[in-house]
Amino acid sequence: MSEMWINMGPQHPMTHGLWNLRVRIEGEIILDADPEMGYLHRGIEKISEDRHYNEIITLMDRTCYVAGIAWEHLYIQAAEQALHVTPPERAEYIRVLTEEMQRLASHIMWYAAFVQDLGLMSPFLYGMRDRDLLLDIFQSFTGGRLTYEYMRVGGVRNDLPPGTTAQVRQTMDWLMDRFVEYDRLCLGSDIFRRRCDDIGVLKANDCVTYGVTGPMLRAAGVARDLRKDRPYAVYDQLEFDVARADSADVTGRYLVRLQEMRQSVRILRQVVDWLDGHPGPVMAEHVPRWLGAPYAPIGREGYLVKRSYPKGLGFSAIEEPHGEAAAYVVNEGGEHPYRVKFRSPVFVNLSAVKKYLVGYRVADIPPILGSVDVCVGEVDR
Amino acid sequence: MATDELNQRIQQRFPDRGITVEPFEGLAGRVLFPPAAALELFRFLRDDRSFHHLSFVAGVDWKSEREVVYALWSDTERDYLLLSTRVDASDPHLESATSVWPSANWHEREAWEMVGIRFDHHPDLRHLLMPDGYEFHPLLRSFKLHEPEELEVKVRHV
Amino acid sequence: MAVQSLYGVASLLASALFGAFAPAWLVVLVADAIFGAILLAASMLNTILLIWYERKLLGRFMDRRGAMHVGYAGLLQNFADGLKLFRKNTYPPREADVLGFYSGPTAYLVSSLVIFGVLPISTGWDNGSLPLSLLLALVIFSFAPLFIFVSAWSSNNKYSLMGGMRSAAQMIAYEVPILIAVVAVIVLSGSFDLTTIVAEQRNYWFWAPLFLALVVFVAGMLAEMERIPFDLPEAEAELVEGWNTEYGGMLFAFFMLADYLRALIGSILIVLLFLGGWTLPSYVPSALTNFPLAGIVWFMVKTYLVFGLFVWVRASLPRVRTDQLLRVGWMRMVPLSLLSVFLAALVVVSRCLPVIGCVPGMGR
Repeated sequence: MSEMWINMGPQHPMTHGLWNLRVRIEGEIILDADPEMGYLHRGIEKISEDRHYNEIITLMDRTCYVAGIAWEHLYIQAAEQALHVTPPERAEYIRVLTEEMQRLASHIMWYAAFVQDLGLMSPFLYGMRDRDLLLDIFQSFTGGRLTYEYMRVGGVRNDLPPGTTAQVRQTMDWLMDRFVEYDRLCLGSDIFRRRCDDIGVLKANDCVTYGVTGPMLRAAGVARDLRKDRPYAVYDQLEFDVARADSADVTGRYLVRLQEMRQSVRILRQVVDWLDGHPGPVMAEHVPRWLGAPYAPIGREGYLVKRSYPKGLGFSAIEEPHGEAAAYVVNEGGEHPYRVKFRSPVFVNLSAVKKYLVGYRVADIPPILGSVDVCVGEVDR
Repeated sequence: MATDELNQRIQQRFPDRGITVEPFEGLAGRVLFPPAAALELFRFLRDDRSFHHLSFVAGVDWKSEREVVYALWSDTERDYLLLSTRVDASDPHLESATSVWPSANWHEREAWEMVGIRFDHHPDLRHLLMPDGYEFHPLLRSFKLHEPEELEVKVRHV
Repeated sequence: MAVQSLYGVASLLASALFGAFAPAWLVVLVADAIFGAILLAASMLNTILLIWYERKLLGRFMDRRGAMHVGYAGLLQNFADGLKLFRKNTYPPREADVLGFYSGPTAYLVSSLVIFGVLPISTGWDNGSLPLSLLLALVIFSFAPLFIFVSAWSSNNKYSLMGGMRSAAQMIAYEVPILIAVVAVIVLSGSFDLTTIVAEQRNYWFWAPLFLALVVFVAGMLAEMERIPFDLPEAEAELVEGWNTEYGGMLFAFFMLADYLRALIGSILIVLLFLGGWTLPSYVPSALTNFPLAGIVWFMVKTYLVFGLFVWVRASLPRVRTDQLLRVGWMRMVPLSLLSVFLAALVVVSRCLPVIGCVPGMGR
C-alpha cells in the first residue's frame, strides 16, 4: 500500500472521546501524526466568567468526567487563594480522601479501557465492577456517582455519614486483592508483554522538553509528583511513595499506574484513620455567602454585585490522575471570577503525540494512546 | 526568601529593563516583565534558574491591554514561578516561547485563538479548539455569552 | 424401516411425497433438496445456539450473566437480534462497488454453509459418497479470504481495505500449517474420508500421537476463524471492525453468521480429526453409548466443549499484532506442522505409540 492519511476519529473506538487523530501511514507503519482537537470544547473558561465561584464546581465535574472531584479540588484551592479563605483541617482530609478515591476510580477505569484496547474484554468488566464499589462510596456522601458537586469554597458541602470510613476500609482490602489479579492477567501474559514492551517510548528528556507529566513522566524515570514535591492540602502529613518505572514505554506506564493505585490505598487507609479520630467542622467559619448559589432574583434587579470584596490572584496545582493540573483564578472583586485558566495534563501530553507515535505500527496506536489515558473533556475544556 | 534571591539575580542580570519580582503566596514569586525582554528572560530562567518545565500559558484580556501569564516549574527548587507581561490591545503580539520550551506550542495556539494574542515565530499558529476560519476570540471580554439586555443588572453596594 | 441416515430421512420424505407419480430422477432431486433444507436449518440453529453458548460462557468468565431476558435464560435473544438486523437497511457507501459489496458477504456465508454438506456427524449420518470429504471441506474453507477481500475492497474504506489485507495475509499464512497438520492425520489414518478417519480412531484418538499437529491445527483454526487472540483483521480498537466496517443490517448478520458457522466447522473438524468424532473410548460403560442418537449427542458435546475452549481463550488473552502473528505463522507453525507429519510417519512405520505402546491394527 502506498502512503495515505487516515482519520482516526472523531468517532473511533481508539479515541475514548471526541477527537480526531490524523495519521499518515505506509502499510502499517506510522509516518506522521496530527491531532485535531476541539470536538468537545464547551468553553468552560468562558462560562466560568459568568458564574458564581461555587457554581463553577458544577463545570469542574464535567471537565474530566472520570476524575471530576480531582478537578473540583484543583479549582477550589485556587479559588480559596483568590478569595482569601482557609478551609478547616477536616475538610482538607476529606478532600484528600475524595481525591485519592477518584485517582483509584480513574486508574481502574483506565485499566479497564486500556486492556480492552488490546482486545481483552474481561478486564474491562472486572475494572467496571471494582470501580463501582468506589462510586458507591462517593454516592453515599456526595449523592453523585460521576458529577459530585461536593466541594465548596471554604470546605466541603457535608461531613461523611457514619459508616463511610468502615466502607472505605473494606473496599480497600477488596481492591488490594484485585490488583494482584490485574497483574496476573496482564503482566503474566506473554502476548501482553509483546504488545506493550518498547512501544510508545518517550524518554525523560523528551518528557521534560514537551511538558509531559503524570504517569508518562514517572514511567520515564523522573519521580516528579506534586503531592510529594509541593505538598498541597494535607499530603505532607501522609506517608506514601512516588511510583516510578524506568522503561519509558507502555509497560512502564502500566506499572506506574498499578503502583499508584496501591499507594492510593495506602494513603486512604491513613486518611480514614485520621478522620475517625478527629471530628470537627468541615466548613470555614467566615465565608462570604454570595459565593454560593445566588440569591433568588428580586424582580428585575438581578444579582447583587460585590464591588468591595478584596481582589486576589489564585494559583493551585495538583497531581491529577493524568498528571499535573494547574488552575489560575483572577478575582477582580466581582461576584464572578474575572478569568479562570486551567492547565490540563492530557492537553500537554497529547501535544507531543508525534514524538511517541511515529515509527510504530497502526496496531500500536490503541495501546500507546491508551497508556496516555486520554480524557478529551479536560483537553478541550 | 526565594523571591528575594530571585529578584536579586534578575536585577543583576537585567538591570534597568523594567523587570520586577513580587511575592506570591505559595509560589516562588510573580515576575512582571516588559514584552521586549521575553526571550532573554525565558532563556535565563530555563538555563540559569532550572525552570525546565512550562506548565501553561494563559491570556487575560484587560480591555486596553492583554496579559500573558506563564507558569513555570523547577524540579530542583520544587516551586512554581508565575511570569506576567502586558501587551497593548491595539496590536497584541509577543515573541513565542516555543524556542525555549517546545511545550508552549499548543498553549500559545490556544492563547492566540482565545484571547487574540499573536505569537511571533510560532511554528504552527493554527486554530486548535475552534474550527478553522473562526473569526472571533471567545475569551475577550467583548465576547458576550448573553444578549445585552439580559446582562443589564442594577448595581447595589451592600 | 429404521432410517439410519439424514439422507435416508430425506429420501423417505421425497418418495412419500412424489414417489407415486414422479420419475425417479425427480425423486432423487427432491430428496437432495430436502436434505439441503434440513442441513441448512440444523446448521443455522446450531450456530445461533453457539452464539448463545458463547455469550453465556463469556458472561460467566467476565463475572456477569450474559443474555438473560428474551426466552428462557436468554435463549431467544439471538433470534431477536437477528430479527432486528433483518429489519435494518444496508447502505452501501457512495463510491462502493455494489456488485462486490453485496456478493462478498453472500458468498462468504454460502461457502461456509456448503461445508456442512460434507461433514459427517455420526455413523451413517452423511450422504456417504465422498471419499475426499476432508479435502473438499478444507478447500471450501479456504475460499474465505477471497470473499473477505472482495467485500473489503469494494467497501471503498481505508479501514476495510487494511482489514481485508490483514485478513488475506493471515488466512493464507495459517492455511499452510493447517493443511500440513492435516497431512499428519491423513498419514496416520490413510484416508481422506472423514468417516474413515473417525473409524480409524476406534482404538486410540489421534490427539495422543499427533499432539503437535493438534496444537498447530487449533492455533491455525483460531486464526482462520479470526477469533481473539487472532482477530486483528477486525480489530475493533484500531480498525473499527476492519473489513466489515461499512456493513450493516442483514449483510453484517451474514458476516456474523458465517463467522460462527466457521467457528462451528472448526470445532467439528477438531473433533473429527483428533478427538474421535462421535465415538467414545471402549472402557466407557456401554450404557452411555447405547441409546438412540448417542453418536450425535456425544459429537455435539465434544464440539461444544472444544468451542468452549475457544471462548476461554477469548476471555483471557489479548490480541496479537500483525507482524507477530505472521512471524509465528510462517516461522513456528510451518516447521512444527512439518515435524508433526514426520512424527506421524514414524508412528505408522514403527506401529507403536510413545506412551501407550504398540496397538494392534495401528497404521496401515
